[in-house]
Order: sequence, then C-alpha cells, then structure tokens
Amino acid sequence: MTRQLITLIVNGDRYQVPVAPHETLLDVIRDQVALTGTKRGCTSGACGVCTVQGEDGRAVLSCLALAIEWDNRPVTTIEGVAGEDELHPVQKAFLEYGAVQCGACTPGLIMTAKALLDENPDPDEEAINEALAGALCRCTGHIKVKIAVREAIKAMVADAAAEDSHGV
Amino acid sequence: MQLPLFEYHRPASLDEALATLGTAGSSLAVLGGGTDLLINLKLRLERPRALLSVRELPELAGVSVDAAGTLRIGAGERLTDLATHPLLVARYPGLAQAIRAVGSRHVRNMATLGGNLCLPTRCWYTNQSEGWRGSQLPCWKTEGQVCHVIKTASNCRAIHSADSVPALIALDARLLLRSSQGERELPLADFYRDDGIENNVLAPGELVIAVLVPPARLRSVFVKAAARTGLDYGYATLAGALGGSNRAPKSLLLVAGSVGTMPMVLHQSARIILADGLTEASIEAAADAARDDLGEVTNLFTPPGYKKRLVRGLVRRVLNELRRQKLPAAD
Repeated sequence: MTRQLITLIVNGDRYQVPVAPHETLLDVIRDQVALTGTKRGCTSGACGVCTVQGEDGRAVLSCLALAIEWDNRPVTTIEGVAGEDELHPVQKAFLEYGAVQCGACTPGLIMTAKALLDENPDPDEEAINEALAGALCRCTGHIKVKIAVREAIKAMVADAAAEDSHGV
Repeated sequence: MQLPLFEYHRPASLDEALATLGTAGSSLAVLGGGTDLLINLKLRLERPRALLSVRELPELAGVSVDAAGTLRIGAGERLTDLATHPLLVARYPGLAQAIRAVGSRHVRNMATLGGNLCLPTRCWYTNQSEGWRGSQLPCWKTEGQVCHVIKTASNCRAIHSADSVPALIALDARLLLRSSQGERELPLADFYRDDGIENNVLAPGELVIAVLVPPARLRSVFVKAAARTGLDYGYATLAGALGGSNRAPKSLLLVAGSVGTMPMVLHQSARIILADGLTEASIEAAADAARDDLGEVTNLFTPPGYKKRLVRGLVRRVLNELRRQKLPAAD
C-alpha cells in the first residue's frame, strides 16, 4: 500500500502527513494530527459527531471524506473554534444552557451550529432544524441544544450590533 | 467501520477520466461526494480495486440555461448548491424541494447530483455490515437466490430511493452520458431498470455528465414521507409537474419514488386530471387510481398495502399543492 504525503491545514496549522487512499479525514485528524475533539461515531454519516468545517465553512462529515482529497484544503475542527481568551458564542451558550449531557455529540453539534451561523447569522426555526437534523444527541432530545443555538444567535447579533455602534 | 484498501485516481481531465473508465471496467468505482459509496465500501457491499474521483472535473460543473431555454445541471454539482440555487427555487420548485429532501444538510454539502442519480438501490437486508448479513442466507443482491422481502420475487426488489430522480422525471429531464466512444442522451425515465442489482442502463465506461431539463413553464411539487424529516430514506415520495391551468391542464407527470426498484410514473392518476382538470373530485379520483399504477410494491418496515395507501395520500397532497401554486415567472 503506497502512502502519499499530503499537507493538511487544520485550524490554520499545516501538517505534513502520509496518507493511504482508504484513510478518512477523520482517521487522519484523530490518529496522525492527534486532535481527538472530532469524534468517531457511526462512521456512516448518520450521527454527525465527526463534523468539521471545510474551506467554504460548510459542515462536512469527516468519516465520509477521504483524507487524500483534502491536500492543501483548510479544515476547522472543534479545537479551532474558541478564540485566544474566550469560547465561541456557540460554546458559551452550550455551557450556559446545559446543552450537554454525556458530551459525546457536543463537538459535532457545535461544529454543525457554527457552520450554520457562519453561513446564515440569523437562521429561522426551519433552518436550525434542518442543520441540526444531521447531528444527533441521544441525551438531550435536541431541546436544550436548540435553546443554546437560539441563545447563541441572540448573543452574536447583540455582539455585532455593539461592534457597529462602537465603530460609529 | 473501516474502509477496505483501494487505489485512488484523480484524473486531470474528463478525457483522462473516460479513458481510465474505459479500460478499467467494473473494477473501478466512480467517486462523487462519497456519502453513499464510502458507506457501501465500509459495509463491503462493493469491492472495487480503485476509485475514480470525478467531482472536481470542470466538465461536470455548472448550472446554465442555453438559448433555447434548456436547463443544464452538471453531474458534479453539490446538492446544497442546487437546493438553494435561485434559478431552481424560482423555476423548478419541485426539483429544489426534492434535492433538499436528500440526506441531511451535512450529506448535501458533500453529495453530488450525479451520485444521487446513480444511487444504488437499498434494502434493510443488504445495507448492513458483513457480519449482520452473514447471519442469514444470502439474497439476490449478495449472490444468493432468494429475496427476503418478497419471497416469490425472481430478482432483487431493493428500493430505489434517490429523491432527485422522481422530481427530474416529472420535469421530463434527459440525461447526458459520455464514454471514450462518444456521447448519448436519453430520457431519465429510461435510465432505470426494474432490477435492484442492474438498476440502470449505464454502459461500462460511461459517465453521467449532466442533466438536461427541457424548457417549459410548469408548476412543480415534491413531497416525501419518511420516519424523520431529516436524514431518512423515504417510505414513499411523490413528484408532480403540471403545465397549463387548473381548469385546462396541458401536461401532468406524477412520479412516485421509494416504492419499488425504480421510479414509477402514475399514468392513470395523470389521465384523470388531464381529462377533468384539477378539482376536488378529480383529485380524489386520481388519488384512488394511483394504486393501479404501482404494481408490486416493496413493503419494508411497513405492513402490506401501507405504501399504496401512503401514495394515495401523497397524490392528494401533491395535486392540492400544484392546484394552489402560482406558475413560475417566464424568466
């Protein structure tokens, strides 16, 4: 089996990693780049715990992506979401509103919610449901997750408004 | 689940892709977004020697309308981009709805239209891990001689559940195929076969290049009945596209999906509407007539007769929505 050296750009850092064609982006992020926040769940695209953001910011299932196709394409994982000193508003809202029980789904849900808000800062109920349908939580029944996402939206809208008025 | 070993080819051009496809034959699997193929590989349902990645080929990209008004959608287009494409949403609402019904948002961010058109049929008895499958006799699809769903079936009755397909057939779409030998076009409705294994007429060495939707001002609707709204295959789906007015319809195609090994056109139901126009009474009659067109239905998870009753309800819903929908603007 021949391995090919690729450059994986994870959270802005470049990693030279040898990959075989059958290795998924998930395998390489966890086992070679050693960032284990991205979880391995169903490995068949149904649970969403392996969600990362691709170069266009969209949610991607790393269990169904071949690493070899991600040469020189930026990826954001849960480790790259928080700022220097503080958590991302979605992370804060998950903490504050208790959208976490066992925690296994949390990285995938946060990446899913962040991908949604990066693309659409003010999604309606239908858009939130549509996005979250691809990432499962078996503890909370998604109710607290949805509350947290709605609160994160409010916080981000308020932050943006504060920044605007500050600028004036 | 781990992927098996395979080689990986990413051709630089369509010509190179077609040349590779032409020589490698069935030992090669075409990789689009990978959201179905990689699962099937993990389940060991397919064992190709190599994957041919076609997603990045520029010839498979783009959504455009030519001078005659024919819509062309490249097979490599992502489902998310198509579901939200302003042209599709405005002019082909039923198609946009159908594409949005595929998988989850995550899946649509990766999956391609070409992949959905070539989606293998599925069955609860085969789309399982190797170990699970090994606990009972192999079926037609896994080199056995029995169908676990319809015991009397003499071929594989696995279900065709690609949501974009009924919507495209309702719009009378055509498929553009190319091989190193040349190009051909055929109605999408003629692409599928009533066999769960050899499910389409794609010849060895051929690749799906694009879908062509003929110019017509149609109202269109797609509905899907599934266990959950997101990320489930349908129990039944129904697409409809209507030309003309409610009182004097000129054309109507109703196409059911997820009920058999190929999409089913409901001729009887459409005939009733074309004769009588869209009225409360004709919609009821058309819904009742749907079962005559369905024939043998694969009832997985559902009691006998359930899907036929379900389709009756979907016909009613689609026709009522078509009746209310405004005709899309001319441009």
